[in-house]
Amino acid sequence: MAAGSSNLRAYLVRLAVLAAGLGAMILAAVLHRFAGLGLGLTLTAEYLAVCCVVWGLNAFVFRRLPLSWFSLLLFSAAVFGGLFFVAYFVRGIVAPFLVDSAGRFIGLVRLADLIFYVLALMTVAGAAGCAFSRNIIYSAWSLLFAFLGVAGLYVLLGADFPAMAQVLIYVGGVLVLILFAIMLTKQIGGDPSLTNAHLGLPIGAALAAATIGTLTYMAVMAPWKVVAHPSYEPVSAALGIAFLTDFLLPFEVASVVLLAALVGAVVIARKEIKETSDTVLER
Amino acid sequence: MTSIGLPHFLIVGAALFSLGMVTVVTRRNAVGILMGVELILNAANVNFIAFNHYVDGPGKLTGQVFSIFVIVLAAAEAAIGLAIVLAIYQTFKTIDVQETDLLRQ
Repeated sequence: MAAGSSNLRAYLVRLAVLAAGLGAMILAAVLHRFAGLGLGLTLTAEYLAVCCVVWGLNAFVFRRLPLSWFSLLLFSAAVFGGLFFVAYFVRGIVAPFLVDSAGRFIGLVRLADLIFYVLALMTVAGAAGCAFSRNIIYSAWSLLFAFLGVAGLYVLLGADFPAMAQVLIYVGGVLVLILFAIMLTKQIGGDPSLTNAHLGLPIGAALAAATIGTLTYMAVMAPWKVVAHPSYEPVSAALGIAFLTDFLLPFEVASVVLLAALVGAVVIARKEIKETSDTVLER
Repeated sequence: MTSIGLPHFLIVGAALFSLGMVTVVTRRNAVGILMGVELILNAANVNFIAFNHYVDGPGKLTGQVFSIFVIVLAAAEAAIGLAIVLAIYQTFKTIDVQETDLLRQ
C-alpha cells in the first residue's frame, strides 16, 4: 500500500515537472515576444524549462536510464542546442522561402499540394507494402494505410460522403473481415508469413512498372475536358436525392445484392460446420 | 508551378491499380488475392471521383454515385470471397491457390 502511494506520488511529480517545463517554455517565448523579456533571461528560462522537460521525459519514457544531475544538465544543453538550431533554421533559412510578405504559405509546393503528396505517398506506399510484403499480416496493415490515404484523396476531391463510407466500410468492415480470415486460416508454411513466388518478385515488379507507365502516359497525354472551377460543396444531401430519384433501381438492386451476399456468405462459410454437427448428432 | 489537377489523381489511381494487379497475380495466398482485388476497386473509385470532380462539373454526382455502388459491391465481394476462402480451407486444409486444383486434369 505504501509502495503504491509512493509510486503514485512519483508519477504525479514527474507529470507536474513535465507540464511545468512545457508551460515555462511557452511562457518564456510569449514573454520574450510580447512583453520584451531580455534575450539572456529568456534563454536561461528556456534552458531551465528544457531541463525540466528532459527530466520528466526521462522519468516517463526511459525509466531505466540512470541520469545524474551533471548528465541531466549536459543532456539538456544538447537538447537545448538542437532545439535552438532547429528554430533558427526554420525561422531564418526556411521561412523566407515558405512565407511571403503577406504571411501566406508559398514556396516549392503549396499547402494543399503538400497534403495531396503526403496522401498520395501514403496510399501508394500502403499498396506497395500490400503487394510486396513477405508477411500477410503486414500486407493487411499496409492495406489500412492505403484505404485511409484513398479516403483523404476523396476529401481533397470534394467527396465527403464517399470518404466517410470508405473509412466506415473499408477500414471498419472489409479490413476487419480480412484480418479475421487471416486469423481463421492456417497459412501456407504453417506461420502467417507466406507470399508471392508464383511469378516471382522481378516479374511482378516489371508488370507493375509496365502498367503504371502505360496508364500514366494515357493520363498525362489525353486531352481531358477539365472544368474551370471544380466545386467543393457538401454532397451528402444531393447524393441522397440522386439515390432516390435517378438511381432508384440500381439502389434497390444493390440492397438485394447485399442481402443475397449476406445469406450466401453464411451458407458458404457454415456448410462444413453443419455437416460435422450432423455427424455429432448421429453419434 | 502547376497546381494539383486531374492527371495527379489519375496517376495515383494507376499506381493503385497496377499494384493491386501485381498482388492478384503473384500471391499464392487466397486472402492476399482478395486484398489485391480491393486495391483494384479502390483505384477504380479514385478515378470515378476524380473524373466526377474535374470533368463532370459542379452539381453533377454521377461519379460519386458509381463510387458508392462500387463500395457496396466491394463489401459484398469481400464477404462472399472470404466465406469461399474459409470453405476452401475447411475442404483442403490450406488456402494456397496452387494446391486447390480439383478441377484441373
